[in-house]
Amino acid sequence: MICTGCSCLCEDIEIQDSKILNACEKGYKHISRFKESKAKNRVYGKEVDLDKAIESAVEILKSAKSPAIYGLDTTTVEAQRIAVKIAEKLNGYIDDNSSFCLGEFVEAILRKKIPSATLDEVRDYAYVLVYWGTNPYHSIPRHMSKFTYYPRGKKRNRGYDEDRFLVVIDVRRSETAKLAKKNAKFIKVEDDLELVDSFERALEGKAPKYDVAEIAREMKKADFNAIFGGLGLKYGLRGNYEKFFSFLNKANKFAPLYFIPAGFHSNMRGFNETLFEEVGEVNKFSFIEKRSDPNFSFPELLKNKKIDVALIVGTDPMSSLPFDVSEKLYEIKKVVLDPRETFTAKNAEVSISSAFSGIECGGEMVRSDGVRVKLEPIEKAEIDDVYILRRILEGL
Amino acid sequence: MPLTPMEIYKLLPKTNCKKCGEQTCMSFAFKLLNREKKLEDCKPLFEEKKYEVQLKKLREILKPLEKATETGLIVKSELCNGCGNCIVACPVHVEKDPHGAGIGRGPRIRDPIYRIENGKLVIVNMHLCRRYGKNRILCVVCRENCPTDAISFLEG
Ligand code: SF4
Ligand code: SF4
Ligand code: SF4
Ligand code: SF4
Repeated sequence: MICTGCSCLCEDIEIQDSKILNACEKGYKHISRFKESKAKNRVYGKEVDLDKAIESAVEILKSAKSPAIYGLDTTTVEAQRIAVKIAEKLNGYIDDNSSFCLGEFVEAILRKKIPSATLDEVRDYAYVLVYWGTNPYHSIPRHMSKFTYYPRGKKRNRGYDEDRFLVVIDVRRSETAKLAKKNAKFIKVEDDLELVDSFERALEGKAPKYDVAEIAREMKKADFNAIFGGLGLKYGLRGNYEKFFSFLNKANKFAPLYFIPAGFHSNMRGFNETLFEEVGEVNKFSFIEKRSDPNFSFPELLKNKKIDVALIVGTDPMSSLPFDVSEKLYEIKKVVLDPRETFTAKNAEVSISSAFSGIECGGEMVRSDGVRVKLEPIEKAEIDDVYILRRILEGL
Repeated sequence: MPLTPMEIYKLLPKTNCKKCGEQTCMSFAFKLLNREKKLEDCKPLFEEKKYEVQLKKLREILKPLEKATETGLIVKSELCNGCGNCIVACPVHVEKDPHGAGIGRGPRIRDPIYRIENGKLVIVNMHLCRRYGKNRILCVVCRENCPTDAISFLEG
């Protein structure tokens, strides 16, 4: 089966004698606990059947003056597509978590502003591998062993210590940084923008501030190098994405260098791509104003009291958003679709129990590098996000 | 902390009496560590009362040996998050499982050295490990590539 524990979407998971094989611990927990604390169908705190819950959801959404749809990063592309239709029908807002995750990078890739590649190409061809502002050991545990540093590839078959050059950039010596030993470099970064400058200078043969001359030399030796950028890079750039994108393009004059976002929720990239196909933007979109804007991100909408109803799919903002934002959720009506009884589901006006994508129901997700993956569920739930969202759409 | 033959030697009678079948106490210490000999083979340790304290200490420092596999390998499960680095980096897996572990997938051969079960590294077949048997090599590749030091060897 496919693990939907993170955006690596590992496809080699097996279940044998009730043991889950090959999934990392994060994936194991994700897969093995799907039966625990299932959500209930509830309307204003009272347990109801599915039809009643959907009916109430439709009513609340119909009466909304300014609704938003939010979440959607752990559901399938099929469900995301219907959610976009619902937002359109309601003339509302739609947003996921990518606006405070790696949305800007995915957007640049989709707009073809920066060169990107697939992880399979990385495995086969990449030499210099830069993990920038990310600790894959925690967030995407099998990234290095499955796709980048450790596996042998078509043109990289001599093993990591000869055929790869590992660079880890972080504010501290993370678990991943500890692996940067032979043919490798760890850079403790204080100023990411300055580091971008240093890379540029080093590639041009000038003296850089950060010690990156060796990395630049190694990059020039190879016909394929890759940067995996994480949240540390995003925040380190302090909004200066263009500077980073222009560095990537300049670097490609000296050596092929591809950028791949270092990972997030299982199908965050799927959300960005689906919305991009439908409206030409990747997140925080308003169907009234027909544009994307930082003010249309879900937390901003809440803070500025711009919405009165939220349809929340597969996420738990009451637990995950900062308190000054999440407390605003008490002031609006919430319709929650989730397989799990989350804190938000418990406090929702309408809670609808759904299925775990990839475990109880199938569909398609998009890996962090843009590769589309067909899920291989182990159960077949009839009631999933697609079913529920379709019925809501019909009801509107 | 890996155990060394020297630490064991210091606690032996150091008389080189050869009763254990070894020429010296030092070589007995080596074999003890490799589990080719048992502590009981050193008769004087048990027969002579003056070695009582040393015997007690020896038993204590040799305790991890019981937990370790035949190759002296110990996996601290609580430190492992199943990242799979060790499995994919292992040169034996690369050679014997080129379409599985060798290219980053879960092992496809029947009895790999390691695999991940329920999110943790487990030892399936130590006999394939380079550290096993007579012609063994002191390979440390898996340990070197574990980000959390979940893998250790008795012999360092
Ligand atoms: S790396 Fe991600 S997708 Fe792969 S097994 Fe772990 S949690 Fe699942
Ligand atoms: S029997 Fe004990 S004391 Fe005698 S040589 Fe062997 S180890 Fe040393
Ligand atoms: S010691 Fe070497 S051969 Fe043995 S499991 Fe570890 S990497 Fe493989
Ligand atoms: S490298 Fe370490 S953490 Fe990763 S699977 Fe092996 S023992 Fe576990």
